[in-house]
Amino acid sequence: MSTLEIAAVTKRFGAIDTLKGIDIVLENGEFLVLLGPSGCGKSTLLNIIAGLLEPSGGDILIDGRSMRKVHPKNRDIAMVFQSYALYPNLSVARNIGFGLEMRKVPKAEREEAVRRAAEILQIEPLLARKPAELSGGQRQRVAIGRALVRDPKVFLFDEPLSNLDAKLRTEMRTELKRLHQKLKATIVYVTHDQVEAMTLATRIAVMREGRVEQIGTPREIYDHPASLYVASFMGSPPMNLLEGRVSANGDSFEAEGGSCFIPIPAASRSTLGPGRPVIAGIKPEHLAPARSDTRSTLSMDVEVVELTGAETLVIGRTGGQTLVASVKPDDAPAIGTPFALTAPADHVRWFDPDSGKAFPA
Amino acid sequence: MSSAWITTRAWLLMLPLLIVMIAIVGWPMVDTVRLSFTDTRLVGTSGEYVGLANYAKLLTGNAFLGALRTTAVFAVFSVAAEMTLGVLAALLLDQQFRGRSFVRALMILPWALPTVVNAMLWRLIYNPEYGALNSLLTQLGILSEYRSWLGEPGTALWAIVAADCWKNFPLVALIALAALQAVPRDIKAAAVVDGAGAFARFRFVLWPYLAGPLTIALVLRTIEAFKVFDIIWVMTRGGPVNSTRTLSILVYQEAFSFQRAGSGASLALIVTLIVTVFAGFYIALMRRSGSRA
Ligand SMILES: Nc1ncnc2c1ncn2[C@@H]1O[C@H](COP(=O)(O)OP(=O)(O)OP(=O)(O)O)[C@@H](O)[C@H]1O
Ligand SMILES: [Mg+2]
Repeated sequence: MSTLEIAAVTKRFGAIDTLKGIDIVLENGEFLVLLGPSGCGKSTLLNIIAGLLEPSGGDILIDGRSMRKVHPKNRDIAMVFQSYALYPNLSVARNIGFGLEMRKVPKAEREEAVRRAAEILQIEPLLARKPAELSGGQRQRVAIGRALVRDPKVFLFDEPLSNLDAKLRTEMRTELKRLHQKLKATIVYVTHDQVEAMTLATRIAVMREGRVEQIGTPREIYDHPASLYVASFMGSPPMNLLEGRVSANGDSFEAEGGSCFIPIPAASRSTLGPGRPVIAGIKPEHLAPARSDTRSTLSMDVEVVELTGAETLVIGRTGGQTLVASVKPDDAPAIGTPFALTAPADHVRWFDPDSGKAFPA
Repeated sequence: MSSAWITTRAWLLMLPLLIVMIAIVGWPMVDTVRLSFTDTRLVGTSGEYVGLANYAKLLTGNAFLGALRTTAVFAVFSVAAEMTLGVLAALLLDQQFRGRSFVRALMILPWALPTVVNAMLWRLIYNPEYGALNSLLTQLGILSEYRSWLGEPGTALWAIVAADCWKNFPLVALIALAALQAVPRDIKAAAVVDGAGAFARFRFVLWPYLAGPLTIALVLRTIEAFKVFDIIWVMTRGGPVNSTRTLSILVYQEAFSFQRAGSGASLALIVTLIVTVFAGFYIALMRRSGSRA
């Protein structure tokens, strides 16, 4: 039986359809990340799962039981908020134990649970302090501790790391991952940061305007984006999307402006068809400098070279379209020179410019 | 620019204000102190120096102690009722419901009324022959015959407390509502998920945000209540049988009705002293919350 089932959930605010039918089934121990831009309805969906909002249609099932009219406190969920939401005049220990205190758990049992959670999160020395005396990262740990003591069926996280600085965010991300592996918890996690989604999730649901655009493992989403929307959301920098058409004989792709030639694998030729307008999606890391003995498939005029550390981003134009390649620092060309690249044909994704959907590979 | 010049300039800029302050507050204060040691009458000859006689007479006489007691009762009960009602109203107005902004605007009205108008309104309500309160209570069967609410020593003060509370609870409600709206939505949601009941939510989620602003409202309202004059003057003039004679009413009676300027002055100074103690308390509170921020 699934741990959490989101069944045809819709939500209207006045005349606006914020959620337009969400269906997701989550097994025990899964880490689902809801990924999408601001305003796409992620928090709304999370609040519906928590019971803080009522859906306009559909239902939430936890362990197969309908949650219609079930109060949040009786749903066996725990929630971690973006702003930490700690009770300002209670000590850290009491903050963590508050949910148990409200559920009339005996004091000794409560203290033991708080101690255990504090140990896992390494905040034992902070237990006597007030939230105002903590740093952002410490507050976030306390907020997680508050969820942890409850040992709920489902953890809900609403952008828990977005108020932290970059370094702390990376640390906490690793820690959350470790926590998930250790506790085998079922988690729904909201973010608009695709790196967070990639590193944490066992499954990602990419949301767009109240719908799930694509759901799958991070690898599936990253390697096989189902649409231009998903492709432009994943990866940093995201996939290059080159407009063009299939050549007259159907065996290659010609970009607008003409400075590009990519062979089309035999398997894809029948679905694409000669002369058809298509968009070729190529990841920056799949573009490699053409060696002199191979026939180059792409050529760009280099405009910017960005060092990012292990990799160097080469940004330029090919036939009027922007192209980004990620290469080794030694291979970086000089600005203003033409740069010849190859793209392995089996790593190129094909999209229909009319529907925005990917062609089946 | 030297810091000495900055200080000098600051004083120079404040000078006009200081002169006006001294002229309209400082000098009369000093003169009141002088008066309080004399037996000056409001009209006629200037009085003789009598030392502490005025103070001694006041502090041992029944009038002062009675007025002090009446003032304390008025202040404690009206402020307590205003705070309770104000917080309850704010909790209601913090809920989501249709017509909320209309009710919010409506609620400010009593506070926006001039005190004298409010006092006149309540005199009508309490009127022994055609007052709304009498007809309401008799129609509900609570009362068998009309009463003179402001004419009986047993009820007059309470009737005024109610009228004052009606006028001033909106201010407390407004302050409390502003504080409630500052409570982060996430904390409210967290408390719901944590299973906190209504009382726990008030105690642990709302109260930390209410306590500061309410303390300030409490002190300000207490100072006001201790100085109360106009609402009582319009409704009962301190009667019947002095049952609503507060300190300010007594000052007025001494100085103007009985024309005893000297003794009125000494009484006024005592009232000022009491209010100053409250004000000092208020300033200390402000300092503390200021240094915390
Ligand atoms: N209580 C509400 N009343 C009316 N509209 C609302 C309400 N709550 C959310 N919305 C609207 O629903 C849409 C989705 O909001 P939601 O908070 O779920 O977005 P989100 O994906 O979490 O965005 P973000 O990344 O900015 O947090 C927004 O357009 C928002 O304006
Ligand atoms: Mg959100």
